[in-house]
Amino acid sequence: MDWQTIIDVVLKLVAIAVAFTVVLLIVAYTVLAERRVLGFIQGRLGPNRVGPGGMFQPFADLLKFILKEDIVPDKSTRFIYFLAPVITTMAALMTIIVYPFGPDTKVPFIDTPLPLVIARFDVALLYVLGVTSVGVYGIALAGWSSNNKYSLMGGLRSSAQMISYELALGLSLIGVILQAGTLDLQHIVELQSAWHGFGWFIFWFQPLGFIIYLISAIAETNRVPFDLPEAETELVAGFHTEYSAMKFALFFLAEYINMFTVSMLATTLFLGGWNVPFAEDIFGRGTFLFGLVSAIGFLAKVIFFLFVYIWLRGTLPRFRFDQLMNFGWKFLLPLALLNIFITATLIFLGIL
Amino acid sequence: MLALLFILFAGLAVGCAIGVVAQRNPLYSAISLIGVFISLACLYVMLAAPFIAAVQVIVYAGAIMVLVVFVIMLLNVEEERRQRTHLGFLVPAAVILAAILIAEVSFIVASVERSPSTPTTNISDVGLSASIGSQLFTAYLLPFEITSILLLMAIVGAMTLARRIKEVPSGTRVIPGGQVLALNVVEPGIPLGNTTPVETRSTSEAAELLGLPDEHDPLKRD
Repeated sequence: MDWQTIIDVVLKLVAIAVAFTVVLLIVAYTVLAERRVLGFIQGRLGPNRVGPGGMFQPFADLLKFILKEDIVPDKSTRFIYFLAPVITTMAALMTIIVYPFGPDTKVPFIDTPLPLVIARFDVALLYVLGVTSVGVYGIALAGWSSNNKYSLMGGLRSSAQMISYELALGLSLIGVILQAGTLDLQHIVELQSAWHGFGWFIFWFQPLGFIIYLISAIAETNRVPFDLPEAETELVAGFHTEYSAMKFALFFLAEYINMFTVSMLATTLFLGGWNVPFAEDIFGRGTFLFGLVSAIGFLAKVIFFLFVYIWLRGTLPRFRFDQLMNFGWKFLLPLALLNIFITATLIFLGIL
Repeated sequence: MLALLFILFAGLAVGCAIGVVAQRNPLYSAISLIGVFISLACLYVMLAAPFIAAVQVIVYAGAIMVLVVFVIMLLNVEEERRQRTHLGFLVPAAVILAAILIAEVSFIVASVERSPSTPTTNISDVGLSASIGSQLFTAYLLPFEITSILLLMAIVGAMTLARRIKEVPSGTRVIPGGQVLALNVVEPGIPLGNTTPVETRSTSEAAELLGLPDEHDPLKRD
């Protein structure tokens, strides 16, 4: 192993550390933003005591999670009970490495352009789907190992829901893949930079795919209006009823990281990724400012999606379970197939 | 470096595989099997076949094993008690088969080591999704389509087996609570269109009149 390899490995590790820190910080502030925005929607204030405007609330919450007593149920299946939150959080974090945060950018003092994506490989999109599908185990096993009826119900509901909506989610992506002809996310983003950075796939030509993706992504992350696995009014807290302190915090964290990664995928595939309209005309491709503006644009789009999540939570009531299943299998799935059919036909006719 | 990673993932795969058969709790076995699939996927990546690796994780770890775990959780399978098994002639048969397998593997390893041409080190694009896709839809189109028809048959078969309950004949009404049946169910002489209700007192009585198997509650269909 020569020095070049070691330097590359160290650089990758630094990139991973930076990306994870940025994502976790944004996630922490998403929690705060959720509480403040929900407060605004419901005509109250929300947490605003810790620091200016409640800015340090996430850190106070973290301290509280660390210092609370960690209660393990007596009749639980110990090993799996500990394993479940780890699986959930790991699966949530692992997808971050493939998303392109920006284009290859010239940085001062370094000759070669710096890629703003940690790992770029051929099957990035399939990797995302694979890792996400492993995340189901965390929730299912947590529900089972707690030895609690509410937890088990939550875990079963969750696995059924995630398996059902994974199909619609996967099929909604196929339209984009057909149009792009690649599974490499950075390449997919570059294909959307036509029309002065406005050639997003949502306009041309996946509006239906985008809607299907958005709905099934909300169901995949177990958020309102699809939050049956942890429906408070029926199941106490669903699969994480018996979890406390840091282990509960891991589930909580995983839910918000999942929201973030799902939003990143939506941005990358449908909203043009890091393409900011007219940025290329103003700054020129490959310059430092262009990279900066693109990365900020990417994060802004992702944050818009996070806001949509919070908005929906403040607006919509919860589905009933049979409605949820019927909607997924009898409406979304045929619609996704229709989308594939239309896209394939248009490509065959040479229109796309 | 690659050898180190290979030893790590191969060891993980073998260890998890032993876990699948050695664990007494069926859920632990299932989790070990997931471990096997994931470490095999890592080995595929090292063999420059990322597409197969991703599909392995999505299909086996993400879909099939979820169903297995689901069933184990629903059935609440008890922990297996250790007991002496009477395998009889299977034990020597297993020993012989294992010996043959080990002989084959060592023969292959030996012949690879002795072969004069060293394998080329450049990474081929055989394992990439584009080449796999174009091959599947040109050279191997027929096997691919036949496989998909096979899967379709399996789905239809599963649906048929799951829907084994006899259909209630038309002109029959089963109303929750009242157990009201059509007249022609009780007296076969009356034509089918006549739906004058007949009252029964219990679910099993209604099931008997409708000719349904007793364990199925006719009220809970669908």
